[in-house]
Amino acid sequence: MINDLIYVYCVSDKLPEPEIDLASNGLNMLAINDFIVFFKHVPGFEFSEENLKRNISDIQWLEINARDHFMIISLIMGGCNVIPFKFGTIYNSPDSLTNFITEYSSSLIENFDFIRGKEEWTVKIYCDRISLNKQIDELSEEAAEMEKQIMASSPGKAFLLKRKKYDLVENEMDRLCTQYGQDYYDIFKNLSKSNRLNNLLPKEFTGREETMILNTAFLVCKDKVTDFINTADDLRKRDENSGFFIEVTGPWPPFSFISIKEKQ
Amino acid sequence: MIQNNVIDQSKDITILELLDRVLNKGVILTGDIVISVADIDLVYVGVKLMLSSVETMEQLKSGRSIVQK
Repeated sequence: MINDLIYVYCVSDKLPEPEIDLASNGLNMLAINDFIVFFKHVPGFEFSEENLKRNISDIQWLEINARDHFMIISLIMGGCNVIPFKFGTIYNSPDSLTNFITEYSSSLIENFDFIRGKEEWTVKIYCDRISLNKQIDELSEEAAEMEKQIMASSPGKAFLLKRKKYDLVENEMDRLCTQYGQDYYDIFKNLSKSNRLNNLLPKEFTGREETMILNTAFLVCKDKVTDFINTADDLRKRDENSGFFIEVTGPWPPFSFISIKEKQ
Repeated sequence: MIQNNVIDQSKDITILELLDRVLNKGVILTGDIVISVADIDLVYVGVKLMLSSVETMEQLKSGRSIVQK
């Protein structure tokens, strides 16, 4: 069995400190120009173009290897700035890898300049519509106004108004989700250097009962991270009774903020 | 809750979110071998099928009908 292909995890602009135990993870590093490339030798029977294409349709294989990719980059990130590579980026030879690094040096430097001293954090906001519904008369003037009308009406009219209120409340909850989502986004945007909106994930993928209303990656200066986290805590306390939940995770490898322009 | 240990965190991250990061982001289109966009689309179809079949199993287990009448 020959491990003759080079699977690249990430590139750094300096040696990791503290030192990382590369050997026990089967990793190697190679200095090319001003960069350190972290890679593993992998066998063609798993990672050749044809075999990789076949293997990624095997969800179990994909999950194990995608998690490995993610964990290795996270481990290296503990000791230095990293530019993470996409899962399954493979070079046929050290020469080919060296050619890539040399050719894209200026782009790599630009990316390091952009992410240096910063961390990627993800903010997800969820809305529990049942809790929001319970608070709706406090949060929506229109809903409160209609509630007053219901209270002052005859039973027959109240019945009709209640049906009307149901639709109004649904619309008001949608409006509040947009308003709170925008508000959260603006607050975190002001505490960060850059951001990327991610797709909202449906409930079956989040494993949560609440509806996701915002999913955004933020690039935060390291000296602002404490502010960022404290702000999230304050917002959590402010809004937990209204049905809005905030989930902040990080620091992640800066997958969302890397842009290497392909040369023609 | 703020989680600071990304390695512990990656154990919790769902497969869809993990793939969203490692397949769609980072340095792309640069190796001798890379996974093509068309192949990534197929991966998502596979993951969705897998997840929907998990959901189907759960529905069957809980005795609910898959087709809502």
